[in-house]
Amino acid sequence: MEFYHKPDEKTLQALKDIANKLRIHSIKETCASNSGHPTSCCSAAELMSVLFFHTMRYKANDPRNPSNDRFILSKGHAAPILYAAWAEAGFIKESELLNLRKIDSDLEGHPTPKLAFVDVATGSLGQGLGAACGMAYTGKYFDKASYRVYCMMGDGECSEGSVWEAMAFASYYKLDNLVAILDVNRLGQSEAAPLQHNMDTYKERCKAFGFNTYVVDGHDVEELCKALWHAEQTKGKPTAIVAKTFKGKGLKGIEDQDNWHGKPMPKDRAEELINDLLSQIQSPNKPLHPQLPNEDVALADLTPIRLLTAPEYKIGDKMSTRKAYGVALKKMGDASPRVVAMDGDTKNSTFSDIFKKAHPDRFIECFIAEQNMVSVAIGCATRDRTVSFASAFAAFFARAYDHIRMAAISQSNVNLVGSHCGVSIGEDGPSQMALEDLAMFRAIPTCTVFYPSDGVSTERAVELAANTKGICFIRTSRPDTAVIYDAGEKFEVGKAKVVRQSDKDQVTIIGAGVTLHEALAAHDQLAKEGVNIRVIDPFTIKPLDASTIVASARATGGKVITVEDHYKDGGLGEAVLSALGEEPGIVVHRLAVSCVPRSGKPQELLDMFGISAKSIVAAVRRTFAN
Amino acid sequence: MEDYHKPDQQTVQALRNIANRLRINSIKATTAVGNGHPTSCCSVAEIMSVLFFHTMKYRPDDHKNPNNDRFILSKGHAAPVLYSVWVEIGFLKESELMSMCQVDSTLEGHPTPKQQFVDVATGSLGQGLGVACGMAYTAKYFDKSSYHVYCLLGDGEMSEGAVWEAMAFASYYQLDNLLAILDINRLGQSDPAPLQHHVEKYQRRCEAFGWHAIIVDGHSVEELCKAMSQPRHQPTAIIAKTIKGKGIPVAEDKMGWHGKVLSKDMAESVMRDIQSRILNSNKRMYPASPIEDAPPVSLRNVRMPSAPNYKPGEKIATCKAYGMAVAKLGRYNERVVAMDVDTKNFTCSEIFKNEHPNRFIECYSAEQNMVSVATGCAARERNIVFASGLATFFTRAYDQLRMAAISDSNINLCGSHCGLSDGEDGPAHMGLEDMAIFRAIPTATIFYPSDAVSTEKAVELAANTKGVCYVRTTRPETAIIYNSNEDFHVGQAKVVCQSKEDQVTVIGAGMTLHEALAAAEQLKKERIHIRVIDPFTIKPLDAKTIIDHVRSTRGRVITVEDHYYEGGLGEAVCSAIVNEPGFTFQRLAVAHVPRSGKMSDLFKIYGIDRDSIAQLVRKMLSSSANAK
Repeated sequence: MEFYHKPDEKTLQALKDIANKLRIHSIKETCASNSGHPTSCCSAAELMSVLFFHTMRYKANDPRNPSNDRFILSKGHAAPILYAAWAEAGFIKESELLNLRKIDSDLEGHPTPKLAFVDVATGSLGQGLGAACGMAYTGKYFDKASYRVYCMMGDGECSEGSVWEAMAFASYYKLDNLVAILDVNRLGQSEAAPLQHNMDTYKERCKAFGFNTYVVDGHDVEELCKALWHAEQTKGKPTAIVAKTFKGKGLKGIEDQDNWHGKPMPKDRAEELINDLLSQIQSPNKPLHPQLPNEDVALADLTPIRLLTAPEYKIGDKMSTRKAYGVALKKMGDASPRVVAMDGDTKNSTFSDIFKKAHPDRFIECFIAEQNMVSVAIGCATRDRTVSFASAFAAFFARAYDHIRMAAISQSNVNLVGSHCGVSIGEDGPSQMALEDLAMFRAIPTCTVFYPSDGVSTERAVELAANTKGICFIRTSRPDTAVIYDAGEKFEVGKAKVVRQSDKDQVTIIGAGVTLHEALAAHDQLAKEGVNIRVIDPFTIKPLDASTIVASARATGGKVITVEDHYKDGGLGEAVLSALGEEPGIVVHRLAVSCVPRSGKPQELLDMFGISAKSIVAAVRRTFAN
Repeated sequence: MEDYHKPDQQTVQALRNIANRLRINSIKATTAVGNGHPTSCCSVAEIMSVLFFHTMKYRPDDHKNPNNDRFILSKGHAAPVLYSVWVEIGFLKESELMSMCQVDSTLEGHPTPKQQFVDVATGSLGQGLGVACGMAYTAKYFDKSSYHVYCLLGDGEMSEGAVWEAMAFASYYQLDNLLAILDINRLGQSDPAPLQHHVEKYQRRCEAFGWHAIIVDGHSVEELCKAMSQPRHQPTAIIAKTIKGKGIPVAEDKMGWHGKVLSKDMAESVMRDIQSRILNSNKRMYPASPIEDAPPVSLRNVRMPSAPNYKPGEKIATCKAYGMAVAKLGRYNERVVAMDVDTKNFTCSEIFKNEHPNRFIECYSAEQNMVSVATGCAARERNIVFASGLATFFTRAYDQLRMAAISDSNINLCGSHCGLSDGEDGPAHMGLEDMAIFRAIPTATIFYPSDAVSTEKAVELAANTKGVCYVRTTRPETAIIYNSNEDFHVGQAKVVCQSKEDQVTVIGAGMTLHEALAAAEQLKKERIHIRVIDPFTIKPLDAKTIIDHVRSTRGRVITVEDHYYEGGLGEAVCSAIVNEPGFTFQRLAVAHVPRSGKMSDLFKIYGIDRDSIAQLVRKMLSSSANAK
């Protein structure tokens, strides 16, 4: 057992001085931008000083070094003090600080990974700790390295449930390399946070959720050094440092006062406030340097990950695409140790348990906490440490939509897989049916949306997703459907397949997943009547293969029918309309679910909501009638 | 122990018998239809028996009676046991139960309000307690009545953060009329729940969140009766240690039985076995009647007392107009209530709070819970609810919104600070996907007002429109463009600027409508005339007005929106005008994750400002001239 050595007086004074320098920078930055949150910075000044110049081990000139300790500013609105810390550490120029929030500066209102020292974007509260959990899990179990993860949170965001999902996760997985720092500055945006300065309640909550917990005076650098040292010695438990602080600390007449959230200091008072802080700095030139990390992490191997063997399905085999996902993911795991997977206690439904059985050390059970699962997946994927695949019922990604939105801002390469889409799940009813997921994921700018229709294409979708930048979403289905592609078929992002065609096709039908199979059934039925239709599988809904669709539409007299197991808004149909854009002379009919559905047998529901083979046949006949 | 009268032995036996009959019916029904979660029903049989036949006060023949105690089955997959209760009461026929989940049955796989006895749909886990909070808040502070709210949760869903948002809310507002029962049956769907049978850990977490927490044997009718009879001075959690599949020997406390039904043979032998435990007791159990002290409420025809009081040309942000409108609506309608997530100074709902402090609920930074509380407050038509936050943070509650549609809920939501107009705060705070997600809610109406007059009308219409209403508001000040007496309707667009010489129709909303108007002025100098349309509601969209006007501008139409390309105004218009021959359609929208900066710079960079509109109009006209 090591013993705690109190830092010498000089060091303590230097840490205090840095805290005040960070305050001064924060005031100057936000005065220059005339917006921002200086009071939220000031409460965290000592915390930031001790973390960046005493506790954390990192290379200040190489913020993305994989061996560095990680830092996540969950209270992203305190961005100016983060930028100030990196200015003090020497990574950014002090003069650059004054460009905060300007259109041509990467020092944005809330941190984004345009900056090398930011791993994940923050600013939507309550998301940092989940990402920190993913990083800490990766550090402890995948990298098996000594880097530690520090997450700074505000008290306001402790009202977010996702914080408690992350707390439960961290203690369940004994993430003793994780420290959560709670900046309890009492005041929220529009009024005091619900627990105000009730430190005991915070302490009880953290302890009840399995954290080793210290309540400290957040403005006492010595107490902070000590608590953070103890955190490092604690094994088997994550640590929470619950720091009692004052919003606007150090700013006379502003400290602990209401109505100062998100307000820069008035121009006429800034100078006086800054001078006041300057007068407390004893040795302005005493530089403190962060400790260097143990270099025990190898650089990520970024070579593309390819399936070792082609899909082993035969045309006509029957299987669900969700099962094909599990098989594919397991094979990707065989191909690279970087592939990891997680699920929200649905692994026997999404079939991620096939991966788990083969690679138990690379599977994380996240339990029923979808927001946290997405955050963990994002955390695991930072600094290219892993290629993460997170799966659940597609409907429940709605729960994590804010996290997915933020993942785009974070430039994350996370892969999400939603099973049980649409009414074709049957009896479980509408609460379990994803009918808005395509709309959700299409509205994510960095997203690629795969919607495979058989085992072969699912396997290729998983392979492509692993190597595609940005967020990838794979939509899988519950019912067993026939394999329609040859095992050797090649697939590309943004490349549709024409599944049925002849010289006499009169209508183009675009379906995906179960509705592609319904379209094929409609094709066969109509063929008996001598009517030929062309059937297209878009494979990716975003990007959509506009040129194949336009060419087919032209070849079939401009007649197009889309059919989707999704609501009418924002899904395949609207994607096709957008793609056809200005094409003249094209008539599109859309079949989709138009109201909240219900329980029933899958085939009955496909009929009832007008997206079955029967409905397609009727729609084809209608196009001729017109 | 205050006032606790132990139930007599006959009562205890009768409750046990009911529990066993609930088991039998749950098994019988799930086996009959080959679907459902019998083991999740069996763990709660005693809990349901004691709740419905001993503890709760309600009129079994009058489900929507406002005085009734409320019950929410948060673990919605145990629906068959809820249906079995109503068979036991005599409201449902056994034959109906045996055809549940079929396409012609109103007994679905998870509870929905197609059944009178269901207030809100469940089945997405972790949402029931937040709704229960809204109901309990309504009982205590708005109705000031004595009905209580009971919520049954599973242990798996305790991993959902939404549960802890609700826990914090309930203790903060001292909801002593709220009782949560935690069915700790140890097993989840694919693994044991993380805390397994560590009931003391659940107790500690509940206590840390400000609840009184009592651990009981969830299969002991006596312990349950006693725990539920305790006087309550704060929200109370009964932590019931139970066995999943209790009564089904092969499945009891075993993995691999979640959501699995018993084979016919197995079911028969199990049911015989359970039947043999039903001991002769002639005692019939009836629920106690509620105290009739809930005030009558009418939410019909809620109107503004007077026309909007704005003058053309005056400048005011639509977010501010929202706050003023809800405050005004609340002035003459005492069941108008509002809530926010610690953003009331941004959304301007604080104007309502200042005027009607007793009808405002601060929900703090917990958007999921706010939407659930809103749904709970609106249940049984007790309140007209307006819940506000920054537009983009409704993404946090999208699962709750999806479920609100399945619940047939009538809630009104307002998202402020939409789009790039949030400026320097950067992309984390910009709502650029909110229209996409609200459009994909089948019961939603989306208002996107462009000035204060239309905002006030939107609020009034939302209060009287069924389903989920969403009002999208903007931060910067914009000019009043409508007269105070202008009439607004859902699904009716306004033509804001027109002349006979118009060559292109431009559709914008909010900030982009004002940009379009500025572009129109600019182009006029070049003798190019454009028609400008304000859709007012994005869903439903006024296809007829749009098509008519586009036709009269020779089929040329441009949409411009402060939103991503996907799922917003542009695609809505695209859907509305598809198959119209001879239309030329161009769209302006945000194509990438944006960045921090001044709003005017951002509008330029992402191409949704007046110059971009004017340029596109010119381009459209020159290319059609070339085509000739």
